[in-house]
Amino acid sequence: MTLILHLILRLALWLLLAPLLPGIINKVKAWVAGRRGPPVLQLYYDLAKLWKKSVVLSQLASPGFVIGPAVGWVALVGAALLMPLGPAGSALSFRGDVLLLIYLLALARFCTAWAAMETGSAFEGMGAAREVSYAVLAEAAIIAAVLSLIVHTGSVSLITMLAPSPGAGAALLAAGLFTVLLAENCRVPFDDPNTHLELTMIHEAMVLDHSGPPLAVILHGASVKLLLFAVLLVQAVLPIGEMTPPAAAGALAAGVLLVTISVGLVESLLARLAFRRVPLLLTTAFLLCVFALLVAWKGDAT
Amino acid sequence: MTVGLLLLCACLALGTSLVLGYRRPRVWLTWTVAGAVLGLVAALRVLLGGDPWEWQSGFLLGGEAVHLRLDGISAVFLLLVAVGGGTGAVYSHEYWSDRRNPSSAPRGRAWWSALLLCMGLVLTASNGLHFLIAWELFAICGYFLITLDRERSGVRAAGWLYLAASHAGTMGLFAFFTLWASLTGSWDLCPMRTHPELAPLFWLALFGFGVKAGFFPLHIWLPSAHANAPSHVSAIMSGVAIKMGLYGIVRFSGWLPIPPAAGWVVLGLGATSALLGIAFAFAQNDFKRLLAYCSVENIGIIMIGVGVALLAVTHGDAPWGRLALAGALLHVWNHGAFKSLLFFGAGSVLHATGTREMSRLGGLVRNMPWTAGLFALGAMAVAGLPPLNGFVSEWLIYLGLFEVVTGKGTTAWIALPAAIMLAMAGALALASFAKAGALIFLGAARTEPATQAHECGYWMRGPMLALACVCVVMGLAPIIFWPALACAVSSWCPAWAAGTPPAPLATLGSAQLTLALVVLAAATALWWKSAANGLRRGLTWDCGYAAPTARMQYTSASFADIAVGWFRWALQPERKAHRPHGDFPAKAIRLERTPEMVLEHILTPVGDLIMRASATVRRLQQGRLQFYILYVLAALVGIGLLVLVGRTP
Repeated sequence: MTLILHLILRLALWLLLAPLLPGIINKVKAWVAGRRGPPVLQLYYDLAKLWKKSVVLSQLASPGFVIGPAVGWVALVGAALLMPLGPAGSALSFRGDVLLLIYLLALARFCTAWAAMETGSAFEGMGAAREVSYAVLAEAAIIAAVLSLIVHTGSVSLITMLAPSPGAGAALLAAGLFTVLLAENCRVPFDDPNTHLELTMIHEAMVLDHSGPPLAVILHGASVKLLLFAVLLVQAVLPIGEMTPPAAAGALAAGVLLVTISVGLVESLLARLAFRRVPLLLTTAFLLCVFALLVAWKGDAT
Repeated sequence: MTVGLLLLCACLALGTSLVLGYRRPRVWLTWTVAGAVLGLVAALRVLLGGDPWEWQSGFLLGGEAVHLRLDGISAVFLLLVAVGGGTGAVYSHEYWSDRRNPSSAPRGRAWWSALLLCMGLVLTASNGLHFLIAWELFAICGYFLITLDRERSGVRAAGWLYLAASHAGTMGLFAFFTLWASLTGSWDLCPMRTHPELAPLFWLALFGFGVKAGFFPLHIWLPSAHANAPSHVSAIMSGVAIKMGLYGIVRFSGWLPIPPAAGWVVLGLGATSALLGIAFAFAQNDFKRLLAYCSVENIGIIMIGVGVALLAVTHGDAPWGRLALAGALLHVWNHGAFKSLLFFGAGSVLHATGTREMSRLGGLVRNMPWTAGLFALGAMAVAGLPPLNGFVSEWLIYLGLFEVVTGKGTTAWIALPAAIMLAMAGALALASFAKAGALIFLGAARTEPATQAHECGYWMRGPMLALACVCVVMGLAPIIFWPALACAVSSWCPAWAAGTPPAPLATLGSAQLTLALVVLAAATALWWKSAANGLRRGLTWDCGYAAPTARMQYTSASFADIAVGWFRWALQPERKAHRPHGDFPAKAIRLERTPEMVLEHILTPVGDLIMRASATVRRLQQGRLQFYILYVLAALVGIGLLVLVGRTP
């Protein structure tokens, strides 16, 4: 019984808190630009409105166009449930759960790309091609980061892997994972979530044709993914497992807030990269993670 | 029934289908499927009973007593042969029917039965001489199946390439078995771990079987053969026949003493094969070639598992080898299931539209919903996505790699890059199959034949459904396959016999099952909610452009352009571009093609060099009698000089 209650609470936490992050980012951007900006809860209002709206389907779309977002959302929420939450531990932990998490993210990517291709639009083809191609480098960076944690802690399950501090490589790992966070969540400098010039986008170009509840599901899934990466980054860098539970919860919340504000600041201060530069930055993220791996190797050997 | 009796009955059933089935497709189908089922039962009995089956004849064949054996390792592969052979036979009943191919269908049936028989013989033969004979017969059956449609020149060229490559491999195996016989004094094949003088033979086996397995760079024959063969043949070649090469590698790496470098080399080859194989796949425009290159990738993944197991053996039978080898063997099954499914799906598309070019298809989901859905399932399985079977085996192999890393020995220096390359290969596999599925089935039809496509019949849909069920069951309940895997693993390395399953396998299964159920519920709920809110159909948005045409969609080459650019050093893509000029441009062309790099940029130039060298030598032979008399004279003088100058020992 307590197990079910625990699961429901955790799920509620993820689902309800996630849409807050894009609101905070937008507020930070507005503050830097000297505007008032949309309210922090704007995404909640948008989701509520979209959930009630009717759907316009492309004439070419098959049921996969609606099933894709649903599967993608389940995959992202499943990945979120695998992620330990500081003192609360994780809902399901086993050896190698980190791989299930990475591959659930891949499942979400496949479903989004599949649904995008349903419409036969050149823009959405463009977005899908970019998404799946850049993911190759992002995935290499993530696995290198995971390997550095594995080398450091000698464990292959998330909960023990993320508990201690990664030692000397923390800064490298933080920089690498932060860059991956920006790429995987389609933020500046990889992608501009505010632009309406479809030619320059990745993720937004893939969801051009979605409307109503499927679009709500996509937007909510994207915010869960952002929160997931923020939580991963904070726990990978901070020694959450070595703190007392209240301190750990506080550190986790503060860390996530800090990451969110940093995303907003990056978005305000940087311009979007030219597309041919994107692989370069992703390769840099990969190399940062590889250096973190080498530092972990060297640091523990001595 | 005992295993021996089952195998005998399977043999007789296949023999009957070979003899009686030439003119009678239904009789052939019944006997072939009966043979496959009997073989399946025999393999299961060995895998679940745990005791290997052995039989030695009293008579001699070719000077040697016939020695047959079915143990855990060969039973794993026999199971695959039975499933692949049975489903393929049912599929071919409609796909390559007498009505559509009156001349080649009877031949195809006969060679199919012969191929299954020969693969069974290869798996059970325990005598070097008989193994070689069975191997050669198996290769030849493959040749005749690939060239069933021999009126087309592309098919004949692919067949020749296959035959030549296959014999290059067999040459290595001749050397391997004769050296084995001369070093051990007998043709009999049995465990020889304690004979260190046999260790160098491992490299010969790796080459000889590697050509058949088709890992990079020995894969040159594979793409064209699998693309040009009829689809049911592609399915059995790709899903089953190339696994015979892996069987050889697994079998003899379990029996021979392992050279210390073996694990490193196999792991390195596997990782290279996985990454480059799938990069080539992503670049292809022909969907059957894409599937063929994807086999190169999957063989690479299996080799990574075998490589980790070999590393474990050279490090005192470390327990992490067990996980990786179990993962590799599970991937042998998984790949057999989803690759056959995908080739059957590709066959249905080819059957319905007559083209293998992805950029000429599109929108088939409306006319072929079954094929589209099953292909999508196969695509998700091959990309290793949960909750399907591809993920389970890749997960086991990853765990093996991670355990090597946590061991922190020197071996981590190969395991770390291999894990990263495996991750990149996984992401590229996802990209390749998102591309293949989307271009074939989604969007608008790009050409006339694609609009006229029709769904395949029940005989073709049935095997696809069966294989899809296999993919789902193996993904959702991996734990029920563990006893069979444990049996195979312990017959490879007896030290790993302690058979408790790795604990998280059951947990993973339940997580996958939950995921599948929630996915179904969520998809239904979202569809229901959208329908309740009201669905309207409209033009694709396309930024407000009111007259989108099918030709404006993304094509195969444009989808792959970004990633192909990163791998240009290996893929060597060919581009032909003619940009539009002037105010009223008349003609513009852009062609992209990714050839088989190893064949066209390495082997062909070397072959040309040899031919040119031979041409200069041929000038000596110009048909004039005077010159030949001169040569005879020169030879005589030479021999005379040798006799005068040389010393007799």
